[in-house]
Amino acid sequence: MTDFDKMSRRDFFTITGKAGLATLAASAVGVNLGMVQVAEAAVGKGSVTPFRFAILTDAHLFSMDNHKFDAQMADAVDKVMSMKPLPDFVVYCGDIAQNGKDDQLRKGMKILSKLTMPIHYIPGEHDWYLDMGAAWRGHFGSPTWSFDHKGVHFIGMNSILVRDFWTKAGLSAEERMGVMEMLESPIAGPWGVREEQLDWLKKDVKNLKPDTPVVVFTHSPLWDYYPRWNFQTEDAPEIREILKKFERVMAFHGHVHQTVYNKIGNMGSVGTLSTSWPWPYPDVKLAYPNMQMYRSDPANFTDGEGAQHIDLESNFSGVMQYEPFGDMLTPAMKNGFKI
Amino acid sequence: MKLNTKNVVSGLLTPVALLALLAAYPAFARDPYSKAELADMDKQLLEVVNHGRDLWHGSMASMSTNGLACGNCHPDAAASNPTTFPKFQADLGRVAPMRDMINWCIQVPQQGTALDVNGPDMVAMEAYAMYMYRGKPIEPGLQTKQTAPVVVKSGRGFPYKGSGIGYDK
Repeated sequence: MTDFDKMSRRDFFTITGKAGLATLAASAVGVNLGMVQVAEAAVGKGSVTPFRFAILTDAHLFSMDNHKFDAQMADAVDKVMSMKPLPDFVVYCGDIAQNGKDDQLRKGMKILSKLTMPIHYIPGEHDWYLDMGAAWRGHFGSPTWSFDHKGVHFIGMNSILVRDFWTKAGLSAEERMGVMEMLESPIAGPWGVREEQLDWLKKDVKNLKPDTPVVVFTHSPLWDYYPRWNFQTEDAPEIREILKKFERVMAFHGHVHQTVYNKIGNMGSVGTLSTSWPWPYPDVKLAYPNMQMYRSDPANFTDGEGAQHIDLESNFSGVMQYEPFGDMLTPAMKNGFKI
Repeated sequence: MKLNTKNVVSGLLTPVALLALLAAYPAFARDPYSKAELADMDKQLLEVVNHGRDLWHGSMASMSTNGLACGNCHPDAAASNPTTFPKFQADLGRVAPMRDMINWCIQVPQQGTALDVNGPDMVAMEAYAMYMYRGKPIEPGLQTKQTAPVVVKSGRGFPYKGSGIGYDK
């Protein structure tokens, strides 16, 4: 098992958020965040009761029958159900659908229904921009939530909100979705959680003590990895500022379809494997380069994909274990790593 | 090697020396193009690059039957590795140019219909990938690591008049 705290770290502060960037006040038109009421009860001081949770993400299901992505998502579900011990719950980190269609979301729900434990969902951009999240919210409720479990405070937020580029241009819902489907779209601009969720987050953690273990889930990374592909969240600096009072924060994200790790201040940030396809690594100097998985084989449709689980220990250290379909983990990741 | 151009004119230079002359003086054969000519050539290239970019992102339905496009796995042409071709391609079992790998991707992961390897659409596909890798070292051969295109901060990654929508200005 790799322990990054004991490693000689490179200058990971070279890969930090946008210094001094103020969040621009602009939320997507028509977006109703529908946030869950903030729980007032603070998580008390004390140790964590050890447990495991799992993360699945980025199935990108199409509407046609028997698409290969259907089977890949089902395989990942089987991986979770074969974990020993089973996770207490699963978090789905976004992009069940490819084109935001309700039939794609329903297909994903059917595949995920084999999971016997609770599932918590946050959306990705592919789930959202056909109907501005209407179908997604209808199935999964609010994209903004928190809950406490065995001494840990878990937070989920919708990080894929963009400024309205479609109304003035007169784009149809399908055209809007098409713009958002392209990773390197020059039209949509950067994603963020925006002011309403930032306000919610402030209230959510207001009464929590600094020693409260906190885990946060978003679709996009909470650091500036590669903004061109929205491997970023525009207001991540504000999120980190709100959460900086805590001794330790773990952040998990989807979207990048690859193994990646970074640490900024008190926040360790971990990327997750998709069940659809692996994204290439952008030309970015990473603080933890040994966290890059091996190059995937294009002839092996499931190479570079999979599931993952995290074991939280009593002192709120966590062991991250990627569970790939194929052999694509470097030695630093093979037997898990501490976050 | 000091060359006497009079010898060229008089035909006294041997063929070998003549080849050396051409190699040493690549601009000797023709005067530079005019600015207008160069601008026109750039314009035509970028139109082809832009067509390739559209094809790369799914504009031709016949290239896929399962919804996938080249851009799904290769945003900004990343990891398409155009500067490593020709090379031995394990999936094809032979040394192949990039266009053969493009057609492999169209036919296998995308379950689509291959492009004419000598047609304008294939030229456009290659033009887009190569343009996104401009300035990168040419390293033909089997690569164990992916290669990366130029870093793009905004726009399409090449000179293009934006749509004016959102950030595409």
